[in-house]
Amino acid sequence: MSVENWRTGPALPPQLRTLLRYAGAVAIVAAASLLADTFSRLTGTSRLTSIFLSSVLLAAFYLGVGPGYLAAATALVAHLYLVDPPYKFSLGSIDEMNALLLFTAASLLTCLLAGRVREERRVTQARSRANAFLLEATREFSAMSDEALIRQRLAERLGVLASGEAVVEDDADGQEAAARRADGWTFRALGVGGQTFGAAGWRGAARSREDEAALDLLTDTGAAAIARARLAAAKTEAETRARTEDLRNALLSSVSHDLRTPLATILGSASSLRRFAETFDLETRRDLAATIEEEAARLDAFVSNLLQMTRLEAGAAPFRRFGFSLSEAVRATVARRVRGQAPAVDVQVEPSLPEASGDPALFEQALGNVVDNALRYAGAAGPVRIHVGRRGDRLCVTVQDQGAGVDEPDLERIFEKFFRTSSAEKQSGTGLGLAISRGLMEGMGGTVRAARGERGGLRVDLELPTAAA
Amino acid sequence: MTETTTILLVDDEPQIARWLNPSLRAAGYAVDNAETGTAALARAAAGPCELILLDLGLPDMDGKDVIARVREWSEMPIIVLSARDQEAEKVTALDLGADDFVNKPVGIDELLARIRASLRNRARRATQAPVFRSGDLEINLAARRVKVEGEEMRLTPREYDLLKALARHAGMVLTHAQIIALVWGPDASVEAQHVRVLMAQLRNKIEADPSNPRLLLTETGVGYRLRSDDDG
Repeated sequence: MSVENWRTGPALPPQLRTLLRYAGAVAIVAAASLLADTFSRLTGTSRLTSIFLSSVLLAAFYLGVGPGYLAAATALVAHLYLVDPPYKFSLGSIDEMNALLLFTAASLLTCLLAGRVREERRVTQARSRANAFLLEATREFSAMSDEALIRQRLAERLGVLASGEAVVEDDADGQEAAARRADGWTFRALGVGGQTFGAAGWRGAARSREDEAALDLLTDTGAAAIARARLAAAKTEAETRARTEDLRNALLSSVSHDLRTPLATILGSASSLRRFAETFDLETRRDLAATIEEEAARLDAFVSNLLQMTRLEAGAAPFRRFGFSLSEAVRATVARRVRGQAPAVDVQVEPSLPEASGDPALFEQALGNVVDNALRYAGAAGPVRIHVGRRGDRLCVTVQDQGAGVDEPDLERIFEKFFRTSSAEKQSGTGLGLAISRGLMEGMGGTVRAARGERGGLRVDLELPTAAA
Repeated sequence: MTETTTILLVDDEPQIARWLNPSLRAAGYAVDNAETGTAALARAAAGPCELILLDLGLPDMDGKDVIARVREWSEMPIIVLSARDQEAEKVTALDLGADDFVNKPVGIDELLARIRASLRNRARRATQAPVFRSGDLEINLAARRVKVEGEEMRLTPREYDLLKALARHAGMVLTHAQIIALVWGPDASVEAQHVRVLMAQLRNKIEADPSNPRLLLTETGVGYRLRSDDDG
């Protein structure tokens, strides 16, 4: 049942329909008179009351109380005309008079009863239609979470139910509502349990008690739906806020840790060099100076990662793409990231590779984050192997470590921002590096994926298209 | 201190050890290293170990648990060395029995001063020297008399108890909770606000300029510290 034509029946103006019903009553009696006349001629009987009574019953039952009375009156006149003596208006004998009185009384009672039955059927039908309509509305509202949409559909449905027009206002005492109220509008507060969400108003042909009750019910249903939508929205907002808060805290604590640890080392080493300048032997002095240098480089890498992330987030990273030597970029990355650290990185390059297309500086950062990760989480387990070669019509850099690897379900998630595997939680780190790598690689038309290595450990493949020849 | 004091450095960041190991040795201490809480507990128990420098963020357990476990059997000084600057963390660490905390980044001079203060405090509590001096302040613990610039000050019993508690831990931080336990008793239901009020009264009597205290220092969000003579 669609909303628009839920009231079944011909779309005729009500006055015309009433007229037709009365005309129908006269027609039924006319037909009965014809039948009675024919019957009388054929059989010679003058007892035709049952035929007229039937016609009144028919008219009253199908056309309503008013047409029933009209039918009764018409039938009385026809009866007077046709019966004893025929074709002449006369009251006839006392017997005939009695029969006529009985006929009239029976007709009126029939009308009354038939009309009541009809009315009850109408009310029942209207009620069940209204119930179905309300049920339908409840179902529709319960599937909606957008308050504005609920308001709009509520207004539409109220309009249909009122057989006229309806509005749903935000403000119960708004001027518009007040102005309309004077103009034949009915307004009901839109509220649940002391909360008010505005008012619903309607104006239309539907004025029966059942219609009013249905309109009130629909208004309450709409109010309940709005209350539910607001609660849901508040809940979602609270959850989002909590999640944002978690993310921010994670970022803050990791940024604070990742910035402070190198800073603490730099500041501490520098202060020690000053304080113990004479006490330290040459080797210690050199080592502390090297520590300062390395930690400063680490800080720099971290700061560029943060900047890059901000840029990626803002969608403003300029991705220049041109041909460059992938193997050179790989060697430069390794030289920069592995500065003076013992665990070896083993680089293998296939001969005669074409140039890759992308931005070598950004690629070095993407690869650097992957290599950092491998060294940080698996560097102690054995050398990290990097292989540079072709894969189909693309170039692929594979970084394979010998650590514990990453569980299958987490392989994709390690590229999410702030995601850290449970084992990584023990180590310092932001959970930003791989997310940045992915952002950079995809920005250059490449990809980065993680897999479990053939002999355990984590394997990360970074692919770039080849430069056009 | 005739024999060498051994400091146990507990930190999982290798670069911190790379800096601190030679520096602490140059300052005359012996250094032992542990990268995990478990290793730290084992080293501390095996000894020799006279002081623990502890990072709160350890790979295998919370640094605060290390404090609690060590305190089950030893009163050796523990200085928390952490990049975390959340006040709640510091307060918990101190309440668990840490002697002091140092925020990273920190220069070697300040760190060494804190180490000396903690070591000296243990010694002082062991010997119970009757007279405490810091700057112009002199407290005669035996006679319960307090002098500022040689002039005797009249303190209420509460004010004296507060000053005594801080003097006993001179150079180190006392949290609000610790001060309440020492001054009002362990079962007192006293708010931190009372501590602040009492501290204001005490500063009015002891400090030359109570609004710019030189002796009774506030550690924001954590507690108070009485400056000891060789603080920077």
